[in-house]
Amino acid sequence: MHATSTANPFSELIRYRQLLASLIWRDLRVRYKQSMLGMAWAVLLPMSMMLIFTFVFTRAVKVVGGLDISMPYPLFAYTGLVPWTFFSASLLGSVNSLVANRNLVTKVYFPREVFPLSSIGSAFADFFIAGSVLVGLVAYFHFFTRWTFVPSAAIAFLPVIVVVQIVFTAGLGMLLAMANLFYRDVRQLLGVAIQLWMFLTCVVYPISNDGSWWGIVAVCNPMTPIIKAYRQCLLEGTVPTGGAFASACVTAACTFVLGWWSFRKMSHKFAECI
Amino acid sequence: MAVAVQFSKVGKRFRRGAVHESLRDLIASTGRRLVGREVHSKRPTFWALRNLDFEIAPGEALGIIGPNGAGKSTALKLLAGILRADEGTIKVHGRLAALIEVNAGMHGDLTGMENIFLTGAIMGMSRAEIKNKLDDIIEFSGIGDFIHTPVKRYSTGMQARLGFSTAAHVSPDVLLVDEVLSVGDVAFRHRCEERMREMVESGVALIFVTHNLEQMRSICHRTLVLDGGECAFVGSPADAVGHYLKATMTRIGEMSYVDNPRTGKTDGRVSGMKFLAADGGEVECVRPTEPLTMEIGFELDRDVDRLTVETALRRDGGEMMVSLNSRHQGITFNAPAGRHDVRIDLPAFPLGGGNYFAIVRLWDADRSELLAETPYKFMLQVDDEGKGTGLLTLPHEWSAIQSIEPMLTSRKQSASPVACEPCN
Repeated sequence: MHATSTANPFSELIRYRQLLASLIWRDLRVRYKQSMLGMAWAVLLPMSMMLIFTFVFTRAVKVVGGLDISMPYPLFAYTGLVPWTFFSASLLGSVNSLVANRNLVTKVYFPREVFPLSSIGSAFADFFIAGSVLVGLVAYFHFFTRWTFVPSAAIAFLPVIVVVQIVFTAGLGMLLAMANLFYRDVRQLLGVAIQLWMFLTCVVYPISNDGSWWGIVAVCNPMTPIIKAYRQCLLEGTVPTGGAFASACVTAACTFVLGWWSFRKMSHKFAECI
Repeated sequence: MAVAVQFSKVGKRFRRGAVHESLRDLIASTGRRLVGREVHSKRPTFWALRNLDFEIAPGEALGIIGPNGAGKSTALKLLAGILRADEGTIKVHGRLAALIEVNAGMHGDLTGMENIFLTGAIMGMSRAEIKNKLDDIIEFSGIGDFIHTPVKRYSTGMQARLGFSTAAHVSPDVLLVDEVLSVGDVAFRHRCEERMREMVESGVALIFVTHNLEQMRSICHRTLVLDGGECAFVGSPADAVGHYLKATMTRIGEMSYVDNPRTGKTDGRVSGMKFLAADGGEVECVRPTEPLTMEIGFELDRDVDRLTVETALRRDGGEMMVSLNSRHQGITFNAPAGRHDVRIDLPAFPLGGGNYFAIVRLWDADRSELLAETPYKFMLQVDDEGKGTGLLTLPHEWSAIQSIEPMLTSRKQSASPVACEPCN
């Protein structure tokens, strides 16, 4: 039919990669312009969450003795909160990305995937900055507490985890952006759902599959093995083994395929339905 | 012949009303759509565009005109790939750039320079390409030192200039322009027109949608008139404008024809207006230098002792060009009830080439009462043989005062076709 819509989706995205870069750069530029702390917010947000949860779990309710963790709680919380912030910021950005760029969607043609993907891209920049601060945190706990950090080759596994998370987020982000285009309720619902989801994931406390309903939720939720994997390869020096991470990979791949396929299938409707 | 753009039997249908009525609907219809099955909607649909057929060659400029809602923007959006046609095929050869909404991607917090890169990327330019053309873009926009100022502090015209300048430097094979030239000051608009002409001359196929008929006429080689989603006319810009205005004026005439709009009384009716050439034959098109006679027919329901007849002509339905009032010539008519004709003889009709629309008013001079008024519906074309004389065709002579000798040259063959046939 149309010359541009018959193109292979991969090559089309590659052709528009500079646009993707430009939109990510715009998001970042705009977010940190007229802000005194600028990029420091990328670190300050997960850091303050870490402090809040550290206070809650060590001072307010004092359950830390009961949490089965092999590292200082702030490290545990930070390694959970940084990828989680990446995940939630990506989704919250993606869900609104088509509607917020209504002008472009209705007036200019380029692959619409660029919108949710650029939200993920700009959240990734924050994730990268917040993640680098982990080095300092690890050093602090290594030198000033009884906990010792053992360097290990398992860290080489980190890119795999990041890719799995991005693939999962991208699939979900495309589905949500598309759903929000037809029903603006999706964005409101997501705000609540993402809070609940955090507490169903081992972000600020560990979750193990003990066979109860709770454990089953944990198995179905791909974010639990993903976040667990971050801690394992960064701090515990092990590579995730067993079915949980593998099934998270499968879920991520399926979500991505479903998300992208339906997004492309529906994208010609976006301009008239938005 | 090489083809840059080809539309064959293109149709686009929209649904009336909301897109989905309930979440239940959505899930069901999305499911069906995803597996590729036709969704049977109970809601009525309408064709925004139907059976549209046209081709454009490289280096050709096609204008699209038509009333609001005729499908002009829909056609451009289909071409740009923003919408998908429900029937027919669209073929585009080469890179396409759309100046539909040049400021859509701009962000107020970013500087002019940053926005050039952003807009450029949105228009499909690579970073290297933008860097190469950066100086040209900034110079063209005339933004000057403000290029490092956030765009939110620009005036509306400056923002538009920046957007257009960036877009004008994409090197497309096909360029779509939709009504973006209405912004910016006169100097900038002139530069934009020049730029568009340059691009067309270098082989770009241009599709130009506008309501500015004068601009369209000066840029396009061929014009398509859309009406109600269908192609009503394709041909030379002058003929297309004539066709479009005639249709529009007729429609206005049907819509708002009241014999006496101000009082609601019907004391008279204008039955018609005719334009006659020197030989007495009725014409639709005249040469500016030849004599012209206008005949106005009307009917009165009562006796009017001092009847004033007035006619006025607008060019292209726009500026008022001429007003002829019998009373201003010291003439009133003693007219009993019944049917009458009056005539106006003009030794020449020295107006510029274009389409003129006339109105007729009948007044009772004693009572200062409007008896009848028509809309601008009587059309007369003036053919200046494509000379582009401006608003008037003034009789004049050229000669040398000293030191140079005037030499007769054969008139340059004009690119734009002669406005109408009957004059020849």
